[in-house]
Amino acid sequence: MATFVMEAKNVYKTYTMKGDKKGEEKVVEAVKDVSLTIRKGDIKLIFGPSGSGKSTFLRCMAMLDIPDKGQIYLGDECLTKSGVDLNKARARIGFVFQHIYLFRHLTALGNVELALRQVLKLPKEQARKRALDALTEVKVCDCANKYPSQMSGGQAQRVGIARAIARNPDIILLDEPTSALDPELTGEVIDTLRDLAKEGTTMLIVSHEMPFAKEVAEEMIFYDEGRIIEVGPPSLFFNAPNTDRAKQFMTRIINRTTR
Amino acid sequence: MFEWLANPTYYTWILQGLTLTIEITLFGVFLGLILGTILAMGDIYGGKIVRGFIAVYVEFFRGSPLFVQLFIAVYTIPAILNIQISHYFLAFLVFGLNSAAYQKGYLKGSMQTVLDDQMAAGLSVGMSRIQTLRYVILPQAYRIVIPSWTNEFCSLTKSTSTVAFVGLFDLVSAGLSIRMRTFEIIPVWIVIGLIYLAWITGVSKIMDIVYERKKIPGIELDMQS
Amino acid sequence: MDVWQQLIFLLEGVPLTLSISIISFLLGIAIGFPLAFMRVYEKEVSFVIGGYEKIFRGIPEIVLMLMFYFGLGPFFPIPFGSAFFVAAFVLGLRSGANQSQIYRGAIRGVGDEQMIAGMSVGFSKWRSIWHIMVPQVFTFSTPGLGSEYALLIKDSAYVYVIGGLAEIMTISIRIKSTPPYDAITPFVLAAILYIIITFPIAYYLDRWGNKRKKTIGL
Repeated sequence: MATFVMEAKNVYKTYTMKGDKKGEEKVVEAVKDVSLTIRKGDIKLIFGPSGSGKSTFLRCMAMLDIPDKGQIYLGDECLTKSGVDLNKARARIGFVFQHIYLFRHLTALGNVELALRQVLKLPKEQARKRALDALTEVKVCDCANKYPSQMSGGQAQRVGIARAIARNPDIILLDEPTSALDPELTGEVIDTLRDLAKEGTTMLIVSHEMPFAKEVAEEMIFYDEGRIIEVGPPSLFFNAPNTDRAKQFMTRIINRTTR
Repeated sequence: MFEWLANPTYYTWILQGLTLTIEITLFGVFLGLILGTILAMGDIYGGKIVRGFIAVYVEFFRGSPLFVQLFIAVYTIPAILNIQISHYFLAFLVFGLNSAAYQKGYLKGSMQTVLDDQMAAGLSVGMSRIQTLRYVILPQAYRIVIPSWTNEFCSLTKSTSTVAFVGLFDLVSAGLSIRMRTFEIIPVWIVIGLIYLAWITGVSKIMDIVYERKKIPGIELDMQS
Repeated sequence: MDVWQQLIFLLEGVPLTLSISIISFLLGIAIGFPLAFMRVYEKEVSFVIGGYEKIFRGIPEIVLMLMFYFGLGPFFPIPFGSAFFVAAFVLGLRSGANQSQIYRGAIRGVGDEQMIAGMSVGFSKWRSIWHIMVPQVFTFSTPGLGSEYALLIKDSAYVYVIGGLAEIMTISIRIKSTPPYDAITPFVLAAILYIIITFPIAYYLDRWGNKRKKTIGL
């Protein structure tokens, strides 16, 4: 029996994007030999400069992008082996996207219900009840019959969180959940995450919401240029990081976010 | 000038012809939709060979006149296979195949508009690719595509006027027959033309209503309408 | 008649096919371009122009050709007695309606602000339209126009129904109607011929148009 919920071992991932000149392609090494272990109840936060590959790494954890090298474990199961049923695995993982990605043609309720009916194969009434419970938990129950375009960004993202937790997944991965939102709306999402943390949900978050990190995260992971540079509790980073790069980053961040 | 309209024989012919015109149009559009969806998915997910075949198919049906395709279907195919095939069957088939070539373009475009993010979202909740296509991508793609569909309906209806020249009794054939009896050339074609116009206007209005009711609030594909 | 002979006969039809399509295309520009601007900038005529568009996009070209050629031809042999004229005329009117739509979309795409900016430097409304909107609208429409032209090449085949014009479609049917009544090769060759003519136009005009659009920032 594995002692951890998820584990990444020596993950390596690159992607190509268009270069600056016509026809040129750049190879970006987003994840270079990254390993990470998450245990039940952990709340870990990955932060670092933009473009450093944090989101790519998170997507690899969820097997939304397949790593080039390395292994990803969900409990005892190795997801990077061939022949694995990735859909079943992803059903045990909750993912929240930076740009929310709600199913546009469905109401909030529909968004949460869809996987309950098609993946967990729950009967209609049960699915509906669980969906409503999830929406209530994130406090957007009054939006249940609204379409994504009719909601504010904060409401939509909370529906996204409801969609992720409705299946009672083993872990929730959040990719910059507040970055795409207007500043006034981030508060409601952060409150929701705080509540989830209180309940003991296992979470791995990529974010640069420093105040939230200070309050909720148990462990912070500084990620830069494809690698994990430094790991420690929030107190370490906010007072005296060990590495220079972490020091540089923290000074810049703390100077900017005067809340 | 229009007295002949009162004659029951003549307006029976018109009804007969109109029925065939409508039948071919509806059949063509629906077969085109089904086949077009398959082609669009093949183009997105298929390998080089599949995509190559689809490219040839689309270029053939979009690059040559439907008139010629109709003749190929009705005369060439039976000649090659050396058997008798109903002209009606072949005509219906060719309109469906032709429409599919155009609809593939619309559907692929609308699918790709939503594909990346909605597929990621679908996978993230544990659905398989196929489930996501079925419950998330296609429902959105079909709704976005409705305005182009209206266009396809109109275009197809007008093209059905060619079947009169391979021996099928459509609205134009009705007109030709009536004209031969009454020699009222311009009035006959005005009436026939107005009937086509009425049908197309009716279909457009219905599609507009369908679009209004079915469209996803907040999403409209930017089309030159 | 073997394949090569058929091919030569069919190729003889190409000039007529191209002539019909070019003339109707030009007629379409002459009609569609002014109509589009009038519909956008002079709201009173919008309804009438809309009616024109509906009629010529809603009635099959074959019906119109039959009506003009057999209906008006006997009374006004010049010009309606000429199959070429009737075909180019009908297709031109239809193309005018289509192109009006294309240019309207382009005007919207280019944006009213351009015209208003023109007026702010002292141009009158219509001079502003002429000097500033028109060039941009043309560039913006190029891809759509490419497919409209390809459509005209294909629709030139309709002239078969009013007979007597030796363009590609008519010739292919004549080949079938003469011994040995080959129903296979002429039509397949004709189809390939049409594809050879339409493919480069649609493809390259599309690419050239999109490139030009990009360079001027549309």
